[in-house]
Amino acid sequence: MVHADRDKDTICAVSTPHGVGGISVIRISGPLAFSISRATCSFLPERPESHRVYFGYFRDTQTGDEIDEVLVTYFKQGKSFTGEEVLEVSCHGSPLICQSILNQFIGLGARSADRGEFTYRAFMNGKLDLIQAESVLSLIESQSQQAAKLALRQLKGSVSEKLEAVENDMTWILAHAEASIDFSTEGIEVVADSAVISRLQSIERTLFDLVGTFKVGRILKDGFRIVLTGLPNVGKSSLLNLFLEDERAIVTDIPGTTRDVIHGDTNFDGMKFTFVDTAGLRDKTTDLVERIGIQKSYEAQNESDVVFFIYDLEKGLSPEEVQILDSLDPSRTYIVGNKVDKKGAPGTLEAAFLPLKDSKFFQNTKDRTTFFTRRMFFVSALDKMVRSEILKSLVSEFADLEIENTVLISNSRHFENLSRALENTQRSQSLVTGGLGAEFLALELKEALIAIHETLGKRFDDQIMDRVFKEFCIGK
Amino acid sequence: MSSNVYQVIVVGAGHAGVEACLAPARLGLKTLLVTTNLDRIAYMSCNPSVGGLAKGHMVRELDVLGGQMGLAADETCIQYKRLNSSRGPAVRGTRVQNDKHRYSQYMTSTLMNQENLSVLQGEVKRLILENDLCVGVVLDDGSEVRASAVIITTGTFMNGVMHIGLKQEAGGRVGDKASVGLSDQLAQFGFEVKRLKTGTPPRLLKDSIDWAKTIPQAGDEKVFPFSYRSSSILKLPQVLCYLTRTTEETHDIIRRNLDKSPMFCGIIEGTGPRYCPSIEDKITRFADKVSHQTFLEPEGLDTDLIYLQGISTSLPEEVQYEFLKTIPGLENVKIVRPGYAVEYDYIEPTQIWHRLETRTIRSLFLAGQINGTSGYEEAAIQGFIAGVNAAHSILERPEFILGRDDAYMGVLIDDLVTKGTREPYRMFTSRAEHRLVLREDNTIDRLGQLATKVGIVSSESLELLADLQSKRSVLHEKLRTTRLYPTKETQELLAKIPTPDMTKSLTFEELLRRPEVSCSHLESLGFVVDSDPNIHEPVEIEVKYSGYVKRQIELIKQSKRLEDLLLPETLLYSEVRGLSNEEQDKLQRVRPRTLGQAQRISGVNPSAIQAIMIHLKGHKKVRELSLEGQ
Repeated sequence: MVHADRDKDTICAVSTPHGVGGISVIRISGPLAFSISRATCSFLPERPESHRVYFGYFRDTQTGDEIDEVLVTYFKQGKSFTGEEVLEVSCHGSPLICQSILNQFIGLGARSADRGEFTYRAFMNGKLDLIQAESVLSLIESQSQQAAKLALRQLKGSVSEKLEAVENDMTWILAHAEASIDFSTEGIEVVADSAVISRLQSIERTLFDLVGTFKVGRILKDGFRIVLTGLPNVGKSSLLNLFLEDERAIVTDIPGTTRDVIHGDTNFDGMKFTFVDTAGLRDKTTDLVERIGIQKSYEAQNESDVVFFIYDLEKGLSPEEVQILDSLDPSRTYIVGNKVDKKGAPGTLEAAFLPLKDSKFFQNTKDRTTFFTRRMFFVSALDKMVRSEILKSLVSEFADLEIENTVLISNSRHFENLSRALENTQRSQSLVTGGLGAEFLALELKEALIAIHETLGKRFDDQIMDRVFKEFCIGK
Repeated sequence: MSSNVYQVIVVGAGHAGVEACLAPARLGLKTLLVTTNLDRIAYMSCNPSVGGLAKGHMVRELDVLGGQMGLAADETCIQYKRLNSSRGPAVRGTRVQNDKHRYSQYMTSTLMNQENLSVLQGEVKRLILENDLCVGVVLDDGSEVRASAVIITTGTFMNGVMHIGLKQEAGGRVGDKASVGLSDQLAQFGFEVKRLKTGTPPRLLKDSIDWAKTIPQAGDEKVFPFSYRSSSILKLPQVLCYLTRTTEETHDIIRRNLDKSPMFCGIIEGTGPRYCPSIEDKITRFADKVSHQTFLEPEGLDTDLIYLQGISTSLPEEVQYEFLKTIPGLENVKIVRPGYAVEYDYIEPTQIWHRLETRTIRSLFLAGQINGTSGYEEAAIQGFIAGVNAAHSILERPEFILGRDDAYMGVLIDDLVTKGTREPYRMFTSRAEHRLVLREDNTIDRLGQLATKVGIVSSESLELLADLQSKRSVLHEKLRTTRLYPTKETQELLAKIPTPDMTKSLTFEELLRRPEVSCSHLESLGFVVDSDPNIHEPVEIEVKYSGYVKRQIELIKQSKRLEDLLLPETLLYSEVRGLSNEEQDKLQRVRPRTLGQAQRISGVNPSAIQAIMIHLKGHKKVRELSLEGQ
């Protein structure tokens, strides 16, 4: 088999999701894209205009039968997504029609695109840098409006722009550090330490801010992950159903009904929320299955952004519940008192909090007033308003950035790289102030530059490339 | 026509040439050295000194592998200095001033006493080529000499032209004629031949200088010779150098006369070294600087000549007089030989392999300034590598190539053959990305094993090397395993250093890691350290900087993944999809040995490396994925 010319092939694939939809788009890219398309779409002019849409019938070249009524957009070489000549055929959204169109293309010399191959070609032809290539992936996979917006902004290169500025500053310092070593005997003036420090501080600020946006960026991209926890039979499953607007969890009066971890997604205010309902936390259970469930509850808590601790207002906080609360991190815990509609529920937050007064949880809560007003909710699972009230509060507290204008990172690979570069930058400053040699500063900066270059895809690393392109699906 | 048959012929007896002929002769091959002037063997045509930052590293590396330069420099040293001594250990560099005549004499007698080596005065006019194979040379008397390999080390002599002011004269050095014919033949064969320029400062008469107006500069007391085979007690008496500075008046005179400088009125086409600029360059490029330093360096013990470091110039002699007299101490100076510029041919070095054999003519090796470098040290290490590889190819041994993580020598050659050069290439510590592990102090540890492999070093010297290495590792092991306990006496002794108390027992290695503690302090704590600094200094450095050294080694490991990926010499880059035309041209021209080298070619982007890798893997990954997806 000869594969050397594989990248010169003309490739095609359905670029919209599989299944029945309003319309589907089939993309064809490569040197033969136009001639193949014109054989089936005789309505296309001999010299089409780039970025123009043409309307007509897509025909079977053998029989001359109409396959579908289509819109064809032509992109000339160098001006398309892949950088090659590309045509996009919009047809009616039936898998059968899509397959017929693909069969025609393949019959005329195109082949099916591999997973991620369109984006791969765009990267190869210099149309996208690595961050942008990854953003294409995010965009395709985004499950909410906010995630899509974020991916689109990254596709436009906002993160790359910031990092290129950092790269420039680092290179400047590096050049001066090297000159101070190699020309030390030639009486040239070396830049003052204070100038180096001030550049390092500016790099540190940029990186620190970017790294700091990961928390929000990740939430925007992947959504909030919220774990519901609490003792058995406090109504976690009812609340889950309320949040999901769905009857997902089995609701019974028997404590310990939920033995497995139940997931559910819901969209609110353009953002995705994943709720995880866990088995009620009972230490003394003898039921093995339930014990495993409890174990899973703890794991789920650790992987979540926020924990909703739910208790029964009617019964009040028990010592066992106080103990559980003590083990939680107040900075990402909400306390939800359920069954406010039942008789015997306390009227005020303060009263509800009385049992917590001496607890560890309470001691660790930094701003108690804020906690009372923003993190304490008395609800009834029957009240439909509860959902929007709580979710709004979550968004305002955890994703309350001017996200329209902020450059965010949302990819864990970028987060790891930039965190490393940030550490290098911080160590660099102490090296300069500590008077240690420029050659050590140079090592720190070179390591940092490697991390930046890896993020931008300016440095070749086979492992990273594999990771990125593996995630792509056919047709993207 | 004679038909003397040698195995290796070396053309040129400069700093590259002597190493290039000694290596094969020492490996037992019958070797001939041809030079146009037997009285100028290993002649210091420019500054009377060896070493410097990064250059000192190379001299030590060459020495461990079996080169001669380090021994010659130690033997004829008249001032010793360790540069950057206040900085970290990786960027310290040894530089010595030499008695230039004794240096040349030392090398001459080394050559004369070398078995298997003949030296002949004559000029090589042409190469004898059989198709693409070089089989010998033709001399100016028409005689042919045949050999299995030819190494050209002609320095600045190929079509050399000297400039003083607007006067020009053919020649590679004052008093020596240029060699004409060789580079034309190479150009005819398709080699890209280009021009470079270099310059040298005026030589001054010692007695015409008012020394009281200058600042004496002494060498170091403590001496670490280049060669592990040399004694640390220097043979020759040590001398002073003297510092003085140019004045604003100096600069005015030069500026007024720039139209008489061949560089500035367009007569010289060759590119000069940015890093070793002429005084005309300096005052033009650093126009706001009102003064430049210059060192007055004696050229030897028995000579009246003083070298004026940093003031190379090609202005007319009368202008040189005029501006020199404005420099403190030089008011009544006598110029013995004016400064001048030399233009010469070089072969764009991307046309040679790492082993320094040309890509187009087999058995033809190039070394030194002909490859676009500047400096004696840069020349010497290339001469050595060419000599070893010429010998290895005749002896059918594998090629000898040093990695960028092995030695500065490896960095230099990889840079040349990968990136080429447009100006005279000088070595800097910043060119070595693995600088922290390529130190002067650990040269033996880095290259000791390889010295055995090359086979040039005598068995006694190898024993000496092994002995040094084992003493170092014994000391390091002892530091690692001996513990110090926090007794009252110990704490008192620590306070004297002074260093903070110990809270628990420590190994001596841990104690030595404290910045304020050095090997000399350990003695007072009852730990005996080998008094030879050649043994304890490298160990101390290794301990103190182990954190950084470890990180450097980690980076080396990462880059190794690509360095270990060999590219077939036959790979056709025009068939690799995803390469720009420029990338295709560059890759086809350089024909990198490894994917790592390909990545270093300027203008070759990371995406190109990905493309090559995918091409080589036959799209294995893409195939797998497409199966998965269907």
